[in-house]
Amino acid sequence: MRIFHKTNFDFLGFRKIAYGFSVFILLAGMISLVVKGLNYGIDFRGGSEVLIRFEKNVDVSTVRSVIDKAGLSGSLKQYGLDRSFLFSTAFSGETNDLKSRISNAFAADLQGNHGEIVRIDAVGPSIASDLKWSAVKALFAALLAILIYVGFRFEVKFATAGVVAIFHDILTVLGLFSILGGLFDFMPLEMDQSIIAAFLTIAGYSITDTVVVYDRIRERIRGQKPSDYERIFNESMNQTLGRTIITSGTVLLSVFVLFIFAGPAIRGFAFAVFVGILIGTYSSIFVAAPLVYDWLRLSKSPVHLRGSKAS
Amino acid sequence: MKNKRFNLFLIAVVAIVALWSLWPTWHDYTLTKQIESYRSSQDSLRYALSHREEIENARKKSLKLGLDLKGGMHLVMEVDQVDLFEQKAWNKDAKFFSIMTAVREKAAKSDARVIDLLVSEFGNENVRLSRYFYDIRNTDREIIVKLEKESDDALNRAKEIVRNRIDQYGVAEPVITTQGTRKIIIELPGVSDEGRVRNLLKGTAKLEFKLLRDPEALVRTLDRINTYLVKSGTALNDTASVAKATPAAAGASTSGKPLYDLIGVTENGSAYTSERTRDFVSALLRRSDIQAQLPQDTELVLSAKSDHGKAGEKLYSVYLVRKTPELTGGVITEAKATFGSQGVQPEVMMTMNSEGTSKWARITGANIGKRIAIVLDGAVYSAPVVQSKIPGGNSVINGIESLEEAKDLEIVLKAGALPAPVRIIEERTVGPSLGADYIRAGMLSLSWSFIAVSVFMLVYYRKAGIAADIALVLNILIVLSVLAGFSASLSLPGIAGIVLTIGMAVDANVLIYERIREELDAGKGLVSAIELGYDRAFSSILDSHVTTLFAAFLLYTYGIGPIQGFALTLMIGTSASLFTSIVVTKEIFSFLLSRNVMSEKSFG
Repeated sequence: MRIFHKTNFDFLGFRKIAYGFSVFILLAGMISLVVKGLNYGIDFRGGSEVLIRFEKNVDVSTVRSVIDKAGLSGSLKQYGLDRSFLFSTAFSGETNDLKSRISNAFAADLQGNHGEIVRIDAVGPSIASDLKWSAVKALFAALLAILIYVGFRFEVKFATAGVVAIFHDILTVLGLFSILGGLFDFMPLEMDQSIIAAFLTIAGYSITDTVVVYDRIRERIRGQKPSDYERIFNESMNQTLGRTIITSGTVLLSVFVLFIFAGPAIRGFAFAVFVGILIGTYSSIFVAAPLVYDWLRLSKSPVHLRGSKAS
Repeated sequence: MKNKRFNLFLIAVVAIVALWSLWPTWHDYTLTKQIESYRSSQDSLRYALSHREEIENARKKSLKLGLDLKGGMHLVMEVDQVDLFEQKAWNKDAKFFSIMTAVREKAAKSDARVIDLLVSEFGNENVRLSRYFYDIRNTDREIIVKLEKESDDALNRAKEIVRNRIDQYGVAEPVITTQGTRKIIIELPGVSDEGRVRNLLKGTAKLEFKLLRDPEALVRTLDRINTYLVKSGTALNDTASVAKATPAAAGASTSGKPLYDLIGVTENGSAYTSERTRDFVSALLRRSDIQAQLPQDTELVLSAKSDHGKAGEKLYSVYLVRKTPELTGGVITEAKATFGSQGVQPEVMMTMNSEGTSKWARITGANIGKRIAIVLDGAVYSAPVVQSKIPGGNSVINGIESLEEAKDLEIVLKAGALPAPVRIIEERTVGPSLGADYIRAGMLSLSWSFIAVSVFMLVYYRKAGIAADIALVLNILIVLSVLAGFSASLSLPGIAGIVLTIGMAVDANVLIYERIREELDAGKGLVSAIELGYDRAFSSILDSHVTTLFAAFLLYTYGIGPIQGFALTLMIGTSASLFTSIVVTKEIFSFLLSRNVMSEKSFG
């Protein structure tokens, strides 16, 4: 079976439209980030979260009124699992107290429907700021490492365009998290540690597709005149289109399975990686390679690539 | 030819090592199934006992499940270094306390070293460290070095004490480590009574024997504080919060006796406060202006446990004790929870070392007829009257509600006092039922992702897909066996990492197969097309794997806990796929080629 066999798309011809599209979604995301901000999860916000699961169905407003009556302040919402609710409140190291107040309240006011506390997370403010910094450090260290590695393996223009594409992918996902955050009960899309893991996964993977395209360009560009670059870029992208899409496809397949089966704790992560890989596939064709092309065109000098060993 | 033999040998070794390392996991699983299969619990127990060694061996070497899958607690505790440094200081005055308050505020918000915050705050205020720490002749540099050592020692001692407490309590396979200069990380799998563990861990276990002042002194002191409160007028303004909750205190400002609305005094001169006002009273007693009203070297402390008043109300006693303890818990060598003489009241018997014994004999001998309070972490457990000189170095803590609590006291007394108070600053507890859900979800994702990807490879690449699928199975086995072999645990994010690896591991094969198809289209023969395919796809494969490894490695370095599990499986899976998708599939092809079962059509 073959898809995208012997295609002949003029990808570079679409690049102005693609640039426009990318700038538009990035701007939309940025505006939402400024206006609406992000929905921070407990890792970065600090606080306590208690996950309660009931034996029988119960209404969210009933549970809320019981908790209000117990004098606990915080927010309660339906959690992705059956008959489960997540109660979030300010951080306290005294989870014993919190736990017993919740249990007592349910035992007294919701008789015959046992509410079990199945998970407690409490993150103090110093830990939260610590986690935030580690996340930022990890992300930038990864981008720097990729920049250096690709620069070393190809050439600085290729590396820079590749890292720009990664930024593009991560910022798009970040923007989406801001726009869609809190809209869905089954996936709250909160920024937490797992989303940072998603970003790093996207960063590592986004460059994969880009490298596949770069590799082909490197193989074919050697000794060619700059005037032929447009044809070579287009042909290279068409030739690698099948593998670009299939490699992403298999990963999308696994991530989709995660999204469906792995439960609410992983859902935000799966969503981020899914969207990130879709965008990453798009960006390797419509952002990374065209940027390199435009850069080469403007600099008007033939490119010298390392390691093009194809004969 | 020689090279090829080596590859075959390598594949065989890897496969065997992977299976061998996973064997105990399988064995453990079958044994557990076997135990569960018996109908009566006696039979199960009998089987478990007769195969005890086998079961223990298998369990020890089997793949560990993370806290989230098995259920358990992950705690991060912070050693209060500000308190530690305060203990080390002398000449403490208002200036010192204001600096320390600033340090405490900063320390709560950042992860910086407390010593650095301390030094910078002293620098801001232009105060030399030697004014409060160690010798006046020391330079700041020397003091910093000494304090650094103190703080390191305190952290390590705290870790050991926490470990002792947990070992005494009995948790299987606890992991206790330190992080940075003030954090202790505690992982407790399968804890059933988390509430008790929290209580056990949070106390400083600072035991002190303090001489009680006579009742007249107590009454006089309370009068003085009351007069002071009346005089200062505004003093109890911040009772507003209590006033709302307690109608009695609401009349405070009008009754003219603000303190006696909170603290009652009986005819025989003992004082008490009710449960409602307890927290407020203890906060009031900590105020420095109130403490200034007390006689020299005394303090007011509350009892740990309540008595029942006439109206059935819970009442806590208020004691006036000498601030300097007669004896501290450092002399305790042995503690034992028992039932008291009447056989109903739980208590803890303590034995002292020789130094403590002689001191204790002297103290009790000199204070016959007086009361000595046994104070643990700032609360009075009991204040017995000394009947006679105690020569044997024994003491008893009573006034304990349950045997369980007595046992916990025994544990913390035996483990010794922490050098400084500790606080829980992060906690993640997963109950066993949720863990079971996570396992189910993880297994479902693993199997569906494997089915989806492997079927896709078969449909899209036909025969060549089989090779990729075999490589995929081997890849998953390698990831699991490396985890088992290095005693790393598998968590839900770890499973997510494996699922993601399934999707990524076949990428190398996709790149190779696409290249082979291209070479075939270009008219190359099957053998040379395969050769060229592997050769030319290699550079893209290497680049993409290396970048993914970078990202995973940085995630592992900077991430914590569950995220590290994800990064770890992703790293192992990505590295393994370099081997499985390139070396293994190539060997499969050369085997198939030698059997003449491959054709140009085999790549779909």
